[in-house]
Amino acid sequence: MGKSIQIKDLTFGYGDQSILKKLNVMIGHRTFLSIIGPNGSGKTTLLKNIARNLTPDQGSIFIDQKELKAYSTSDLAKDMAVVHQNPDAGVDFTVYDVVMMGRHPYIPRFKRETAQDMEIVEQALKATSVFHLQERFVDEISGGEKQRVMIAKALAQEPQVLLLDEPTSFLDIHHQIEILDLLKKLNQEKQITVIAVIHDLNLAARYSDEVMLMHEGKILALGTTEKVMTTTQLQRAYDMNMIIDHNVYTGSLQISPVAVNKKNTVSTISVHVIGGGGIAKEVLQRCYRENFQLSLGVVNKGDSDAELGKKLDVNVVEEEPFCDITDKALEKACMLADYAQYVILTSIPIGRGNLRNLLIAKTQLNEGKTVFLWNTYKEGTPYDYVGGEGINCLNELRALGLREYKSLDDIMDEIQQSQ
Amino acid sequence: MISGLSKKTFFITGTMALAIVLVFSTSLGAANITPRDSLMVMLSAIPGIGDLLDVNHISHAHQSIILYIRLPRIILAFLVGYGLSVVGTAMQGMLKNPMADPFIIGTSSGAALGAAIAIVLKFNQSILGFGAVSMTAFVGALLSTSIVYRLASLKNRVPVTALLLAGVATGQFFNAILSFIMVMASQDVSSIIYWTMGSFSSRGWQHVGLIVIPVLVGSLVLMTYAKELNLLLLGEDTASNTGVEVDAVKRIILVVSTLLTAFVVSVSGIIGFVGLIIPHVTRMLTGPDHRFLLPAAGLMGGIFLIVTDTFSRTIIAPTELPVGILTALAGAPFFIYLLRQTKKLR
Repeated sequence: MGKSIQIKDLTFGYGDQSILKKLNVMIGHRTFLSIIGPNGSGKTTLLKNIARNLTPDQGSIFIDQKELKAYSTSDLAKDMAVVHQNPDAGVDFTVYDVVMMGRHPYIPRFKRETAQDMEIVEQALKATSVFHLQERFVDEISGGEKQRVMIAKALAQEPQVLLLDEPTSFLDIHHQIEILDLLKKLNQEKQITVIAVIHDLNLAARYSDEVMLMHEGKILALGTTEKVMTTTQLQRAYDMNMIIDHNVYTGSLQISPVAVNKKNTVSTISVHVIGGGGIAKEVLQRCYRENFQLSLGVVNKGDSDAELGKKLDVNVVEEEPFCDITDKALEKACMLADYAQYVILTSIPIGRGNLRNLLIAKTQLNEGKTVFLWNTYKEGTPYDYVGGEGINCLNELRALGLREYKSLDDIMDEIQQSQ
Repeated sequence: MISGLSKKTFFITGTMALAIVLVFSTSLGAANITPRDSLMVMLSAIPGIGDLLDVNHISHAHQSIILYIRLPRIILAFLVGYGLSVVGTAMQGMLKNPMADPFIIGTSSGAALGAAIAIVLKFNQSILGFGAVSMTAFVGALLSTSIVYRLASLKNRVPVTALLLAGVATGQFFNAILSFIMVMASQDVSSIIYWTMGSFSSRGWQHVGLIVIPVLVGSLVLMTYAKELNLLLLGEDTASNTGVEVDAVKRIILVVSTLLTAFVVSVSGIIGFVGLIIPHVTRMLTGPDHRFLLPAAGLMGGIFLIVTDTFSRTIIAPTELPVGILTALAGAPFFIYLLRQTKKLR
């Protein structure tokens, strides 16, 4: 059960604009394949070619051994069902009527539906948990319910292959998970081959065995989720930086987009950031977006500021975890700060280990450089763990001309304006 | 079917309404005939029953009026209303456009131009009892729709938007020629206008004979595509993925609808509004399932046109109003009323 799909040299375009370029894919039977990729990469076009809603300019598609062209329309509907993006769920048919339409390829022209058809429709209604809605009109139910009804209609076709175009778009998180759980169940229990275009990378990672990453009409990668969803490949396809790790709760891959790539405009502004403990992440992101030349330090290895800094290709001065700042690291950081036009000190909790970070600010102030403090310290929350020494140190910096702001926007404005 | 009225209730009520309308409309007119007499006359004409009834007390003149003047006209009105409504329903379903009617793809403008040419050039020949005007209207209707179809089809497909736009453009073009003809031949303007408003005046059994088979066969063909029309409402892609040969189905529906409309127009002129509102009104009663909707709309349209035609010949007798005026005059306010009541239409 569950048929395979083989695509050979598939080329398709609208007019002169070519959308799919010589695709070759083998999708094994009983696979749950997610197609991911940025807008305009050809995901929907590929799906419509497989569904025979569009005819390839060149190349061919096979379902098991049979070529797609050789199928009659109704035989194809028996092997393959398609749930399109925002389907017109029909004016005011009842849910039952719409699902019964899925039996169309099986009912001869002048015949009525048989008891068997009704049985199959009932099962499809139950499998998608819309049985209780069967007498409701389709335009009265919610978006998630409507999507489930369209899947029920597809199931009534008893397909071997199920294609879905963004089945979870416009749904809230609850209904997204519900639909994908359903598809997973159908894939495993009914052994239907499922091919779905999915926009949400994390959902795709969580639910599918295999992922196909498309980019500009080509397949950038195809294979197991772990193999396809790598930082390099995703960054190339989506043109933005990503951090990939494992979700603590579900264990599946988790993709966090970090910042949109801006390759062409390198700013001449350079900034050194003093951070640690995750306090500086927002500053780093912001400076990265503005394309400032960035350096960071001193931070401990494994600190989330350090991790983000490295992902963003920032020059990071690191110290071993849980160690005090050594002379070597301090000197290196001072050199970087020296090199930068501005220094931003973030509201780090001051402890024995990082007290020396404030020295970096002090040396720069002494040299007459502008040093900002992005003050997010909360009143009443202690941040000095060295018995007042930290506060003294800060006050000393203030005396030297440290510029304090509560809002990061103000600091950014100040930097931009002084240029 | 769960939605709307049950099929049985609808068709029993409808058939009873048809019978009542038939009896009363045959009895109305210049000659004073009671509904009871007209029923007797009609029944007596049915083989088998006729022998059991005694209609000797009704004058021969009255019998002739009913059987040869009023009855054929009423049956013709029914067939025309039935045909236009079935075609209108199919067009609205296929084009997924609530403004669609049998004339939307240029049929009316072609027919009107054809008729106008025959009127202006004084074609008086008739073949098998059909006037030249009927024939040129028929040819004009087929010509304009085939132009529209050609313009709209692309690589074996007929996109809906292209069809609608080509219909509008071709319609305007033909209308411009018609206007030009009317300006040039001003003495014929009133006959042309009269024709374009539609009428059943002095139509007889030969007209019924001409359209009865095309209308019945055509509507039956459209009804066999009821399930496909239902599926088309889910979108063409989805319909195709559920086993509907979308382009073939569209082509068949277009060709059958065009032929049916051309036949109807050739005997009645252009009767507007029926094919637009009757499908909507019926859909409000029956729901969208074309298996039920198509025959139901046909029945409603037939009854509606009998009633309006009866008014058109009696309301300011002896002058006859073109029935097209009345269909719009009565239909439009009623339609607006329904729209405001239900809000189900979109």
